[in-house]
Amino acid sequence: MSATSPTVYRSLWFWMRGHRLRYGAAVLALLLSVYFSFQVPLVIADVIDAIFREGAADREPSRFVKLLLRVVGSDGLRRHLWLPGLLMVGLMLVAGGFSYLRGLWIAQASESIIRAMRERIYDHLQHLPVAFHAAADTGDLVQRSTSDVETVRNFLGGQVTELGRGIIMLIVLIPIMLTINWVMTLYALSLTPLIILASLFFFSRIKAAFKEQDEAEAAMTTVLQENLTGIRVVRAFARQEHEIAKFQGKNAAYRDLQYRVVCLMAWYWPSSDLMCLAQTGFVLVVGARFVQHDALSVGQLFFYMACLGMLLWGPLRNMGRVLVDMGKAQVAIGRIEEILREPRESGPARPMALPTEMRGEIEFDRVSFAYQDGQPVLHEVSFRVEPGQTFAILGPTGSGKSTLVSLLLRFHDPAAGAIRIDGVDIGQAERKAVRARIGVVLQEPFLYSKTLRDNIRFGHSEAPRERIEAAAIAACVHDNILDFEKGYETEIGERGVTLSGGQRQRVALARAIVKDPPILILDDALSAVDTHTERLILRALADRHGRKTTILIAHRLSTLMHADRILVLDHGRVIQTGSHAELVNQEGLYRRLWSIQTSLQQDLAGDPPAPAAEARAALAQAEAPTHV
Amino acid sequence: MSETVFREEEFNKRLDPRLWWRILQFARPYRPLVGGLMTIALLVGLTESLYNLLVKRVIDGLVEFGPDAPLFSYALQYAAITITLVVCVFIFIRFAGKLSAFISHDIRRAGFARLQELSFSFYDHRPVGWLMARMTSDCERLSSVLAWGLLDLTWGTAFMSAIAVILFYLNWKLALIVFTVVPVLAWISLHFQRVILRSSRLVRKINSRLTGSFNEGISAVRTTKTLVREEGSLREFASLAGEMRRASIRNAVQSALYFPLVITIGSAGAGLAIWFGGRDVLAGVISLGTLVAFVSYSRDFFMPVQELARLFTNLQMAQASAERIIGLVDTEPEIRDSAEVRTSIARAGAQPPVAGRAIDGLPDRIETIEFRGVSFAYNVRKPMGADDASAGEREVIKVHPVLDDFNFQVQAGQTIALVGPTGGGKSTIISLLCRFYEPTAGEILINGIDYRRRSLHWLQSNLGIVLQSPHLFSGTIRENIAYGRLEASDEEIVRAAQLVNAHEFIMAMPGGYGAQVGEGGVNLSTGQKQLISFARAILADPQVFVMDEATSSIDTETERLIQAGIERVLSNRTSFVIAHRLSTIRRADCILVIEKGRIAEQGTHEQLLAARGHYHDLYTHQFTREAEEQVLADPLLA
Repeated sequence: MSATSPTVYRSLWFWMRGHRLRYGAAVLALLLSVYFSFQVPLVIADVIDAIFREGAADREPSRFVKLLLRVVGSDGLRRHLWLPGLLMVGLMLVAGGFSYLRGLWIAQASESIIRAMRERIYDHLQHLPVAFHAAADTGDLVQRSTSDVETVRNFLGGQVTELGRGIIMLIVLIPIMLTINWVMTLYALSLTPLIILASLFFFSRIKAAFKEQDEAEAAMTTVLQENLTGIRVVRAFARQEHEIAKFQGKNAAYRDLQYRVVCLMAWYWPSSDLMCLAQTGFVLVVGARFVQHDALSVGQLFFYMACLGMLLWGPLRNMGRVLVDMGKAQVAIGRIEEILREPRESGPARPMALPTEMRGEIEFDRVSFAYQDGQPVLHEVSFRVEPGQTFAILGPTGSGKSTLVSLLLRFHDPAAGAIRIDGVDIGQAERKAVRARIGVVLQEPFLYSKTLRDNIRFGHSEAPRERIEAAAIAACVHDNILDFEKGYETEIGERGVTLSGGQRQRVALARAIVKDPPILILDDALSAVDTHTERLILRALADRHGRKTTILIAHRLSTLMHADRILVLDHGRVIQTGSHAELVNQEGLYRRLWSIQTSLQQDLAGDPPAPAAEARAALAQAEAPTHV
Repeated sequence: MSETVFREEEFNKRLDPRLWWRILQFARPYRPLVGGLMTIALLVGLTESLYNLLVKRVIDGLVEFGPDAPLFSYALQYAAITITLVVCVFIFIRFAGKLSAFISHDIRRAGFARLQELSFSFYDHRPVGWLMARMTSDCERLSSVLAWGLLDLTWGTAFMSAIAVILFYLNWKLALIVFTVVPVLAWISLHFQRVILRSSRLVRKINSRLTGSFNEGISAVRTTKTLVREEGSLREFASLAGEMRRASIRNAVQSALYFPLVITIGSAGAGLAIWFGGRDVLAGVISLGTLVAFVSYSRDFFMPVQELARLFTNLQMAQASAERIIGLVDTEPEIRDSAEVRTSIARAGAQPPVAGRAIDGLPDRIETIEFRGVSFAYNVRKPMGADDASAGEREVIKVHPVLDDFNFQVQAGQTIALVGPTGGGKSTIISLLCRFYEPTAGEILINGIDYRRRSLHWLQSNLGIVLQSPHLFSGTIRENIAYGRLEASDEEIVRAAQLVNAHEFIMAMPGGYGAQVGEGGVNLSTGQKQLISFARAILADPQVFVMDEATSSIDTETERLIQAGIERVLSNRTSFVIAHRLSTIRRADCILVIEKGRIAEQGTHEQLLAARGHYHDLYTHQFTREAEEQVLADPLLA
């Protein structure tokens, strides 16, 4: 249908590898089941002609009836009329058996292909670079992985069979009909192209009406959803009447469009019925005329009528719809292939191994990076974290703190410079090997919709119960977990409980602690945790067994001030480094932050009833318009 | 998989006639349509059964008269039947489609109107997605079962009966013999329809889990990478995909088994006709045409039987939808005007309006608001799964007190700041004040009268409420501000926007006040949405202003505009604010520190600071946070 279709079919053919034989067998079964199912009306026709109209028509009976006649003779057959009856049931059973096999094989083949396709997409998505995911729309990706796959599934499992059945029926039926009477056959099939074309035309046309109906439904759903999510606003302004009127407009519009689609259908189905019935009526009358001229027997007339019924009301009338739907499968497979063509995260051809026992030394050596060309985020950042250090990074929003973490995790690769862990350039190592050695907690951590225990265990899949609980205790979340009715077995997410921001952060921290990595990174990971708990957590981290390197990123000074070394980052450049004591004695951002806290404490410690004058002044300065 | 997933799969449940009678009430306004539909369906069934009879007549004619058979007359009869049938099909599709579309529309209308009245306690444990599903897919399923089911029922019954009458008329003995296949056919159809529907539901369920799995896999991609869990996730996904494959194959195999079986039974009927009918033909008891008619009819049985079996199963399946919808439409709102209030509204409405009087005849002006011994507890219900059938009847498993003997009085014009830890009960106080909930003990008095003795509509239309996450409706900025007062003029809208400092950014947008805010306000920043929601509240010019200040960080410039906006909104107006900003807190006439459902401290900023209690801690913490954020937001200027 489009210029791309050959490649689309080629890629479908590719997906079918390993199942092609099964498809072939299914086609054979389909052929046989069609063949045997047409034998039944043939038997009836023969019985009519051979038994009841003996002598009226002089013709060769069909294969199976001939067999029967050879065994019992025509008199025997007349006495044992249950024989042809049984033959019919037998033939139908054989046809049904083949039809069952066809269904089984097609289902096995198509479902296996689809399963492979789903797994391939899932795996591929997981291995696409973070940059791809940052740019992509989640909803669109999900749609491609689900409804597009479903469209391909319908194609492989349903439409292919449906189309094949129509074609095979014609292939089997036409020779049988032709051997009976070729003129009659022409009459019998004269309208079929028209029936197919009409449905093709109609279903491609009605798409627009369906689209409008879907859009109207979407508009109505939007109003409904906005009303439900904003129900407090509706009540707050007592706007119920207004909302009802608004919904009613969309509701009625949807109803009317729905009815319009039905009205279009009401034109199509009867006219399609009319054509099919006309075709049958044609055969009946013309056939009767042939019978009158002894060009056709009564049995044969019956056969034509019966076969036409099987053909017309079955696959032929749906062929147009199937063909139109097949166009959708082409689009769908194209969209799926688009994802699969995206390159995965690359790795070096000959990766360098990282030591199994890590010391946890990190070195940034003149690292520069930009997400987009011309907008550099990091300029020649260099620093060194000694093994076992607690290293803090401080800086305004957008200064590049989180980018440092992304580079360390090899979510992105630096444009220039190198990052070394224990002396090994991580650009030369496997990405997974690097990540396996780093535990990270993000500000808005993702928890999986599983039990709390499973979520923590994700840090280390073989972690025993004690280790999980020890990690939860260190992350100050153990008691919260026990407060839930099911404790560690509590499901989180849609089907379970919703955790608060602080709880999520602490569960994610427990997950990172269980992993027991040589390097632990907390990227503003305690922002929703209160100061007291935060202090407990930091102490627990400092005391953690065999403690290795810890990197802290935070906005709160209280979080950072106890670190061994603090790095101040601004606009992608290192502007200050040193310990708390050193930085407090230097002019700069760090000291300004420190002075807020100290001045407030001094003021509040002073004469309480009087407004803390200097603190007020500091605050006034903070509140004052900063951009003019 | 949890137990709830399978709850809908109850098949042994009997059809509940009372429920379906209630559902049928929705078809009441369309009685002529229903009558027409059933008549037409009847006609279709009868007409369709005539075809085989005509074929019989043709064959008999050919056998009997040979070349003299009146072919032209047969053709005319055929054409007459066909035209009747085609016209009837045209009409019944329209009728059934109309009935289905209109009934689902009516159910949605009733459901939506009821949703506008229901109390918040109803919403607490029903996620929006759950409610949406009731109003969309459940309505659709129910109305289509109703309309098309009615059609199938009438058509199927008519078709079957017509065949029966014709066959018995032609030869009742043979008819009895051939009819023996019908019970078998019916039983097999019913059984398979159930099995197939059940397995296709399972496929749909697994499919929605697959979608969830993709969704999670994509949103969690960074976390998965940091945990190096790609293989583990894939393994889990693969087992789900395998489950899907098995369920889909089972579903397909069931269908692959059903159709051959049904057709075989049909041909067994034809076989019986040949066997017994053939003898009769040979004996000259029946004509050849009659035999052919018997053979053809016995193959036609399976259609109506199959449709009726499907209808019956569908009804059972749709019963769950029906229960949920009726559960929604028939739920009585917990909070509404009492009979007494309704009487006084009616009485006041009958008289000419008096200045200074509200719709319930009592004074319109709010002088004092008093919480007297107010306690409150939320009913905690079990969390709801997406598939739960009747959420309404779920038992309350525990009661969780939020407010305990809360006493407080406000005079007109005062600003009250509520501060304290999350979960302490601040939001509950506001929800009670707005009468979104009612106290479980104690009373809330307005001008000394329990607010349950005042009109709900009067109270809520005199409150201006700004919530933490500002909710906007898709539409223009103008429409969103005008939500505060629908009849407001353009000038008034602009004045409201100017008052809260929103005018400038609105004018800077392409389209100005006519700019589209997008679904849920996606085209605007959080701060801009807050400004719009202030303008909306100010336009309503409420007597009492209620605000839940947002905690999310906003850029410095907008933050400054918002603070100035809040100040103007609050000045000289009775206000309750859940406050997070120091500027708002310090300006309040009275600060209430709420902890564990009680007032922990109460007083002005200076008094509370001097007391060195909870407020002192909150203040220093908040102060440090705001100042640090300020410095980090703009390090060079600080």
